[in-house]
Parts: sequence; C-alpha cells; structure tokens
Amino acid sequence: MANYDAIVIGAGHNGLTAAAYLAKAGKKVLVLERRHVLGGAAVTEELYPGFKYSVCSYVVSLLRPEVIRELDLPKYDLEIIPLDSTFTPMPNGDCLFRSGDHARTRREIARHSAADAEAYEEYGQLMVHMAMAVKPLLAMIPPEPTSWYPGDLFGLARLGNRFRRLGEKLFYDLAKLMTMSSADFLDQWFETDVLKATMSASGIIGTFMGPRSPGTAYVLLHHYMGELDGAFRSWGFARGGMGTISRVIADAARCHGAEIRAQAPVDQILIRRGRAYGVVLASGEEIDARVIVSGIDPKRTFLKMIDAQCLSAEFKKQVSGFKIRGSSAKVNLSLDSLPDFTSMPGVGPHLAGAISISPSIDYIEQAYDEAKYGEFSRRPYMDIILPSVLDPSMAPPGKHVMSIFVQYAPYDLKTGSWPERREALGDTVVDTLSEYAPNLKDIILHRQVVTPWDLEQEFGLTEGNIFQGELTLDQLFFLRPVAGWAKYRTPIKNLYLCGACTHPGGGVMAASGRLAALEILKDTRFGLL
Amino acid sequence: MANYDAIMIGAGHNGLVAAAYLAKAGKKILLLERRPIVGGIAVSEEIFPGYKIPTCAHLAGTFSKKIISDLELERHGLELLPLSPLLFAPAHEGSGLVIPRELPNAAQEIARHSKSDADRFQRFCELFKRLSEFLATLYQAPLPNKANLNQFHLAKFLELAWKFHRLGEKEMHDFLRILPMSIADLLNEWFESDLLKGALAGRAMLASFVGPRQQGTAFNFLHHQLGNSSGALPTAGFARGGIGRLTEALHDAAKSYGAEVRSGAEVTKIITAKGLVTGVVLKSGEEIRTERIVSSVDVKQTLLGLVEPTALDPHFLLQVKNIRSRGTVAKINLALDGLPTFSSGDQAALGGIIHIGPSLDYLERASDDAKYGRFSKRPFLEITIPSIADPSLAPAGKHVMSVWMQSAPYGLRESNWYAEREALGDAVLDTIEEYASGFLNRILHRQVLTPLDLEETYGLTQGHPYHAEMALDQIFFMRPIPGWSAYQTPINNLYLCGSGTHPGGGITGLPGYYAAREVLKNWRSKK
Repeated sequence: MANYDAIVIGAGHNGLTAAAYLAKAGKKVLVLERRHVLGGAAVTEELYPGFKYSVCSYVVSLLRPEVIRELDLPKYDLEIIPLDSTFTPMPNGDCLFRSGDHARTRREIARHSAADAEAYEEYGQLMVHMAMAVKPLLAMIPPEPTSWYPGDLFGLARLGNRFRRLGEKLFYDLAKLMTMSSADFLDQWFETDVLKATMSASGIIGTFMGPRSPGTAYVLLHHYMGELDGAFRSWGFARGGMGTISRVIADAARCHGAEIRAQAPVDQILIRRGRAYGVVLASGEEIDARVIVSGIDPKRTFLKMIDAQCLSAEFKKQVSGFKIRGSSAKVNLSLDSLPDFTSMPGVGPHLAGAISISPSIDYIEQAYDEAKYGEFSRRPYMDIILPSVLDPSMAPPGKHVMSIFVQYAPYDLKTGSWPERREALGDTVVDTLSEYAPNLKDIILHRQVVTPWDLEQEFGLTEGNIFQGELTLDQLFFLRPVAGWAKYRTPIKNLYLCGACTHPGGGVMAASGRLAALEILKDTRFGLL
Repeated sequence: MANYDAIMIGAGHNGLVAAAYLAKAGKKILLLERRPIVGGIAVSEEIFPGYKIPTCAHLAGTFSKKIISDLELERHGLELLPLSPLLFAPAHEGSGLVIPRELPNAAQEIARHSKSDADRFQRFCELFKRLSEFLATLYQAPLPNKANLNQFHLAKFLELAWKFHRLGEKEMHDFLRILPMSIADLLNEWFESDLLKGALAGRAMLASFVGPRQQGTAFNFLHHQLGNSSGALPTAGFARGGIGRLTEALHDAAKSYGAEVRSGAEVTKIITAKGLVTGVVLKSGEEIRTERIVSSVDVKQTLLGLVEPTALDPHFLLQVKNIRSRGTVAKINLALDGLPTFSSGDQAALGGIIHIGPSLDYLERASDDAKYGRFSKRPFLEITIPSIADPSLAPAGKHVMSVWMQSAPYGLRESNWYAEREALGDAVLDTIEEYASGFLNRILHRQVLTPLDLEETYGLTQGHPYHAEMALDQIFFMRPIPGWSAYQTPINNLYLCGSGTHPGGGITGLPGYYAAREVLKNWRSKK
C-alpha cells in the first residue's frame, strides 16, 4: 500500500545518486530535500548578484567513472575543468609552483632541492601505482571480518588475494601509507619543507588531525585516487560550480522517473515492528514507501529521526561514539578584480589552479594544535581556487569569485559561539591571505563565511564534518560507520544509509550512493524487501 | 676456529633472555657487554652512596611470566613486588585520584570524582584484560621472514583465527576498532573524569612521539597491559632489591646454563664475508671468530654502526635509516630526605605509580613541544618511589625517587642538551613542587639524564628506551623493517633480538625469547 518503492532522505549528491540508480532499475523513487537547493554540500548559490559560489565543496576529482558512465552524466551537460597547478606562495616572497607540465615542475622543485626533483618523479609513480591497486577497494562492499557467512569469507579471501597480488613491496608500502603520518611519510622522500607541507595538506583536509598525526598518510592516497579522463590525481571543478554535479545527477534521476521535492524536510522515519515503512515531514504529511534510504549522517538519522525505543542501547552507543568532529570552514569572496600575489605578481597560470597557503609543516601543525584546544587557527591552512578564471560564467565580466577552504575551525569552540565569532574567522582568513596578496582587502565586494556550525545548521552536516564522519582507521571500511553495519544496511529493516558516512567515505565521489542502491536492489531481488 | 656457537652483543634484558634460552638449549654462548655492568636499561646503580637507584627503567611488571617460569628467575632471586596502590594522580586543587589494587576500593576512590566512571571501571578493566590477552596471543603469530620465504604456518593462522572468534562478535569488533584508535577518543567513550582519563592515558604515553589524541596510542595502551596488569594499569613492577635484580637474575640463569658473560667488552665491528658473519672485533682489538651473532643492540646501531655498509644492500640500508626512533624522554633520579607531601593525597598513596598529567589536554600539550624541538615546561611525569615497597634501597627514613619525563626531544632546535640539562631538571622538579609544596627541600642528590645522556650511557639511539617508536607502522610485520620481523637480517646468521624487534619495548623479554626460538629453529634446519 506504499506510495513509493523508495524514499531517499536528503538530496545530497549521494542521495541523488542512489535515487538515480533505483529509478533506473524501475523503482518508483521520491527524494525529499529540506533546503530550497538540491545537492547537499555540492551546491552553487548566487549569494551576491552575479557571483556564483560553490558554497561548500569546491573541487572534484573522485567522482566515480562508473557513475558518470552508468548514469550517462555527460548527456546532461556535466563538464569538469581540470585544475592544472598548485601554487604555494611563501612568506619570504618565494613560492613553489607545480603543474601538469612535468618538465617545468621538475625545474621548479629543483630550484628548492635537486634531490627532491628526482624523488618527485619516483614518488608520483609510486602513488599512481598504489592508487591503481587500492582503487578497486572504493567500489567494493566491505566484507565483515567476524562473520562465517560464505559471502563474507569469500569477500575476505578476495581482499586477501588482492593484497597478495600487490606483491610484497607494494603491500608493505600500502601498510605504511595506512598507518603513518603524512609528514613522516613525506620526510622519507623529500627535504623541502614547503613541498612537504603542500603535499601533506591533502592528508589533513576534512580531518581533525595534523600532518604529524598517524593516519594522515592514508588520506594522502585517498585524495590521490581521483581520476579525470584517466589521468590520476588531477582535480577539477564543474563548469557552473559544484552544483552542476548535483543538478546533473538529479536530472539523470528525474529522467528515469524519480520525483524530487525541495523544501520538504523530513522529521521522522516511521517504524513498525522493526521495519521502516515511511516518513513524516515537518509539515505533518506522511509518505509511505517500501524502502527508506537516508543520505543524512548516522547521528542525525538514528538519534534525531528515529524513535529511541526502536534501537538497541548498544547500537545507539556505537552511533554516539562515531566521530564526526568538524574542523573545516569556507570563506567565499566576490572580488572586483584578481588578487595580486607578491610571490608571483600579476596575472598568470597560477591563478587558474589551486593556491595553497601551506608554507611549512610547522605552520599547518601549529594551526592544528590551536584547534585541539578549542580555538580556530590564527594562521590557518587554506586551499583556494578562483573558478571564474576558467569558468567566466561564475562572475560578471572582469570580476571574480574566490573559494577558500579553511582549516582548522573546530566545531567546539572554547570561548564564544560560532555565530558570535563567524566574522572574526572571516577576518583572520582575509588578514592571513592579505599577507600574500596585499590588494585583497581592496577588492572584496562580498564575503560569506561558512563555519562548522553553519555547515550543521544549513547543510545538515552534524558538527560540520564535511565527510559525514572522520576518516580515521577505526571508522573506515568494514568499521564504517559502525562495526557490523558497514554494508549500507541498518538494524532497522528496509532502512539504508547511502551518504559519505558509509564506505568509501567522503569526497564528492557518489560511490556510497551507488553501492547503497546496488545493495538495495540486491535485497529486492532476493525478495528480502 | 670458533669456540662459541654464538656470540651475543649487548647484555640488556632481551640479550640476557636470548642468551639464557640458547644456553639452556645446550649452545655455547658468549655474551659481550660494553658497560662494566650488565642489564641494559634495567639496572640499579648506587650513583649516590647508600641509594640503589633505578637509573633508567623503573618498572618491570610487563615482564613475561612464561620467561620467569622457564628460566626459573625466582630461584635466581627475582621477586616482583605488587604495586600498592596501583596509581596516584595528584591534582592542583582538591583531591587527587588514587587507584588501589582491589577493584571495589578502586571504584570507591573513582566515585569521588565521578560516579558513572566508578560504575564503568570494572567493565573497562575486564574488557581490556581480555583484549590485551588476545594481543599477547597475536604477538606469537609467525611473521614474514624474507630469509625463509617458504614458511607458512597454516595451523598457526587457523589457531589465531579461532582464538579471535572466541572473543565473540562484539569484542572482535572492539579489538579491530580499538587497535588503531587514539587513547583519548577511547577514554572519552568510557569516562568523564579528567584525572582518571589522564592517568590511564599516561600508560600509553611513555616514549611516544605523539600525544593521546593521535591514532595508534590505544595500541600502546594495550601493549602496556602485558604481564601483570588489571587490564587498565600494571599491578606489579618493582623488583625486591632494585630493578637490577631482574637482569641479575637473568644473568645468573644464563650463567647457570653455561653461558659466558663478559662485561667491559665493547664490540666495535661485526665482520662478515660473502653475506655470512665471521666474527666480531672488540674495542681492545681482540677478534673473536664465530658462525653466529645475535645482537640485542638497537637495530640502527647494529646494522649501521657495527656492520660495514658495503655488506648490506643500499635499499635495505635506507630502510634501516628510516626507522624512526625520535627520543622524547628524559630521566631524573633523586635521593630524598623523606617522602614528599602532596596537597591532594596522603603519603600512603605514593607506593605505586605517581602520575603527573591531570588531563588528556595536559598530556597532549606536553607532547606538542617535542614537535617543535623544545622540551615541555609542563611535562608529563611518571614517578615511582621504589624505596617505599622496598626500604633496602635507601638509608632509613630516606627515599629513592625515579622520574620519567616527557617531552624532551632529542633534537632541540634552539639549544643543545649540554646547555639545557639543568634547566630540564629544574622544570621537572618545579612541576612536582606545584603538586607537593616543600618537595624541593627534600632533595639530597639529583641526576638528570637528557636524551643525549640516555643515548651515551645506555646505547639507545636518540635515548629511545624502546629502540624504535612503537607506532602503528613500526609494529608486527613492520618491525624493525617490513618483511624482516623474524629476527633475521640479510646477513646470514646475524640475528637481532632487542626491543627494536617484534613485539617491541616495555621490558617484556619477548623479543629475546622469540628471537632465541627463531635462532634454534634455524639451527636445526641449518644447511
């Protein structure tokens, strides 16, 4: 008697992906989104007339090729413009500039250290090798290591075999990558501080760890596993902003018959006798479905949307123990003209790529230290792009938007609240960046500061964690989000999770959405639904 | 012509254990020790007349009971004394936290700080006792051995899988999850009292480069529950007559099996030919030929210092160089004119571990300093006063105090350890004074061992008591080097058996024991 085969709560890119796959398989799907904009944290919003912000996520590289292929996304005008370079200005006026031009990059690194230039080639090869070896894990349903079920045993055997086929050296290298800190790992390869700092930065994005924290080398690889047109590691952004990605997936979903409703916040998931059968909106409207798929993080899903009695104390405890501490913020700027960096004056290719404020490992580590004790970094790490340089549609002619990812901004502040301190964070970011681009303050037309609190309030990300849960070793793979529940299913029958809180984790990948949908379809086929 | 079946280098506790087992198996062993006394870091030295000071290590509760039994160490004079109380964590204000031996009393004490913590403490101890026992079982797992690639122990692997499953689903998940966690996250899940969390986390902190918030520290916590432990804290540790009695007993045991031990005999070179050991050269110039060498000296010093660089493949050498052993500890040894008076606890509380680190944040801040090449002015301190349980260690009414301090990084950025030794000592003693007013007046003698002193005195690279950091990427099949965790090296018949090998540091004796077993196994199947 259900109206729909499946209801997807949350039109983030994973929820939309799950909906698209289910719809494509012939299911009647309804997606319910709280906001007026679809896309979750992958959205484009025009908050200042004429200027488009990728409010939250700002780059893409990990978007699964199988999703692009299977949902035929290019048909809906998805175009990803590669970011070809990373520019790291230094306080002393020098800089580090790396790009897709290998020869030029080599010469540039050699300026700092000849040995590092040599090592860089070899390092790149190792990482690509490693990424290729580990990539299949992104598309894999994690086997349950404590179970005797044939399916799991087979999955474990396959996993074991995959590791064995890596060969000894690569296996050990992978084991080290999984457990080392990015600083320690990079110390074994390079000597140039600014190079190591810039590289280690990808190991700390979205984490509550510093470059010297064990477990950050792994995230280095996570971000290295992206591919665009078969070229590993390249990052890019979508023409029209990150919202394009969500729009395109939404279009694919609708094309297959899915219904998507915005401004339809879900209040409660309805459960009867341990089985989910519908949802209640904030308006009071009840909608029934045979399957409920939540694209929301597990804390919100289980601890806010479900009657506490329906879950065991043990499971609730596990969900409460799921670490989801946000450490990132965003500052989006509308600019009257381009910023002028002292380290590379004027207009140049460096403005068409990523700009990293990461002059040394100590700099990032100190930024992290402050956050540990409840303060935002006085001199934050920043990852910056100017999408309007390569995509003029993002701003009026001659003007620009600047997207600044900031770390660290801990959700839990020791003094004050985020609404009180939002602008102080914005000022800190602008002040710090102005040290490298002194004309910055003169050209700012508009500024948006998105704190972890804002990420929670507006975008539904508990504690502002951008990955719907920290990517620490105890919360990955068969332990994500919670031990024993790593296959998109939950203790409630017919209730599934499809967000980044599931394997393979965060980043705009759409992998979770796809894997969740496939598991749901599997259960349907076996008549379990 | 080789008189000895094997020459062993380094008479630290692991070297002595290995020598004893090999001698017991009938092998003719010569053990060479650089210092005039044997014992490595587990020594008692009368550096102040009348006081028997544990100059380096001060607790040996983690020592393997099996080894004690196999080598009959009790017959040779080893008596491990129980800690009572287990721990005292002073506070700046209000009452400190005392954790007595008996669980009901412990619950009572903890309840003064948090009722819910008291309720959970027993369950915590029980769970961690089981998990650490499984870890000990896991340590026995055969590890990859590049020198002997054909070995695969299916039976052992299945046995382990079976033992793992015996934990039950929940505890299997707990184990997998807890192993890589940070001890701070783990303790925050269980407890609310800062003092309790700080006290428990301290057990994971000694010689750790990273603070309690970092991943891998929960593993360190589990590792330190080996031997005598309640699951949360060590329950024994002092040896009657001083910690040196452990190594003296080992020494006696080794000798009783026929091993020859020579102190004041420093090995300066290991000679090899065509990938095989041929002998050692001593500082005196004496050369002793042998077919087999077992070194408990730190891996880097053995392979980079004693062996000629041309004898090893450059790639292997690079891996050895990359072993991280960043020293972060210093030792302060004191003779006291009486017991200190802590504002937050009685003198009756001082018989076990005295832990200065009143919260997780305090410990984390103390570890931050090492990253920037400076020593902590608000350090984490692990203190014992062994003369309380064993008055024979000091003159009547007087006491011995042993203090491990963290962080004191080996590589100081702005200065050097010669210049900073006394400032370090002052910082430590001033910290104690904050909790025990009048303490400074009780000090009769003081010895400060900086990381540099620890390195020079005990042969520890960078003063690291575990030889190599016990980080997640330097344990199990990755210790000391991936693929080489079965105590062998690319040089035939050159073995390693110190703390830098599996399963690592902490005075367990296990590296020596497992290495000896490996040596004997290969002996039988020697070509």
